[in-house]
Amino acid sequence: MNQMESRIAAYLAHRMPHAGSVEVDELARIQGGSSQETYRLRASWHEQGQPQDAVIERRLILRRAPEAGLVVAERDIEYSVYQALAGHGIPVPAAHYYEENPRWLDRPFFIMDLMPGKPGHFYASSDPYEGHSEQIAREFWRHLGRLAAIDHLGAGLGNLRNGQDIGAFWASELDWWADIFAQNEGICEPVVHAAIRWLRTNPPPAAPKPSIIHGDYRAGNFLFTPDGQISAILDWEMCHISDPLEDVAWAIDPFWPMTRHLPLDEGLAEWESTSGMKVDREALGWWRLFSAVKASAIWATAQNNFTQGPAREMVVGMSGIRAGHFHRNLILNLMAERGQCA
Amino acid sequence: MNLSLETILHGVAVTLRDKIAPSLNDSFAIETSRLAAMLVTIAAHSIDDAAAARIWENDQWRQLFASAHPIVPADLGKRLADAAASVEPGFKISELDRENDRLRRLLVELQTCVESGTSDEAQAVNRRIWHILREGEERRAPRI
Repeated sequence: MNQMESRIAAYLAHRMPHAGSVEVDELARIQGGSSQETYRLRASWHEQGQPQDAVIERRLILRRAPEAGLVVAERDIEYSVYQALAGHGIPVPAAHYYEENPRWLDRPFFIMDLMPGKPGHFYASSDPYEGHSEQIAREFWRHLGRLAAIDHLGAGLGNLRNGQDIGAFWASELDWWADIFAQNEGICEPVVHAAIRWLRTNPPPAAPKPSIIHGDYRAGNFLFTPDGQISAILDWEMCHISDPLEDVAWAIDPFWPMTRHLPLDEGLAEWESTSGMKVDREALGWWRLFSAVKASAIWATAQNNFTQGPAREMVVGMSGIRAGHFHRNLILNLMAERGQCA
Repeated sequence: MNLSLETILHGVAVTLRDKIAPSLNDSFAIETSRLAAMLVTIAAHSIDDAAAARIWENDQWRQLFASAHPIVPADLGKRLADAAASVEPGFKISELDRENDRLRRLLVELQTCVESGTSDEAQAVNRRIWHILREGEERRAPRI
């Protein structure tokens, strides 16, 4: 075992006092979840009282706080959501341990199961889902509808952001992201300022119900298996409670277009069938512009973190430069649709 | 022949992409090398016209402020007129960026003022702002 494998093994032994000869190997960092360091590993141990040759082996994922990331991710939120959503028909990994004490791995982390499947890269020019694009796109929308239908208080998620609120989530979410944008904005971006002003003066109707919002529900944040099933929905660190259209709008953002695999109308019909709600198209338009502002805030965070260091992840730098430009252009186009920008 | 910074950066990017990345065994390191190559390529493409893009935009805002200051409240109008008469404090990218940030923050105040105005002059200024914002975004577009 290398040093980090040994430290993880020591932690697992601490959390599993019934286990003996805990070992960790095949530790490898993987891309994905840009707001956190993500590692896969294999752990093995003996259960006390069992024959010595009865080795238990598990493939696990460890998610650790980064030195710098895209957003101020809260690992305890992701861990809590994984636990709360178990048994609700949403494919999520079993989350085992959450740890804040830096003595183990220097920064907070949690450990969960490695799920089967692989991510589809949304920027791939060829079919990212290996012949199953339409099937996966339909399942993508049905899962989002199921998520929107869950009673978040009944699931024990009342402590999420906005968890005790009803109605005008647009205002609290716009305040939230406008504040993050203001904290991280480098050179002033008047395009984003103008969009925020428009959103404030042209609010959408109140949400039909408070819904669990994944916060980053899009192509690239789920795994699929060779039979065309979505095996896991990941990266829940921005989960909160809001208008269900917030996730719908984020999912159709043209930076990660699921609509290239299934027309929007058909995707929304799948969402309506499992959520039990109708999509208000005008309200969805408000949330689409909101998504572009939210994305701009995230990219501003990326720029700020890359500028300040100490960790300078290439994916964070790329997001700050390239995605920031993409979403300012998108805002320009969306504002033109509103008669604001020629 | 002059060996430019742009050419050097392109050479670094190609080395990262075609020589370093394929020689690595760790998938995370390979992907990181490729992303680094893309970032260096973006830097290479932008280095030659970096000053020109900033000077163009700053000049556009000064011209706009010069024409717009009479139609806004006096305090803002005075600051717009002062900014319209300003010049670049220097030609380092960092100096141009600081000036660009100063002018853009003033622009946000101006646009907030004119976008709710109903006069033809206010609407014309607002249209001009959007036009410059779009063209400025195109001039600074990262290229890979």
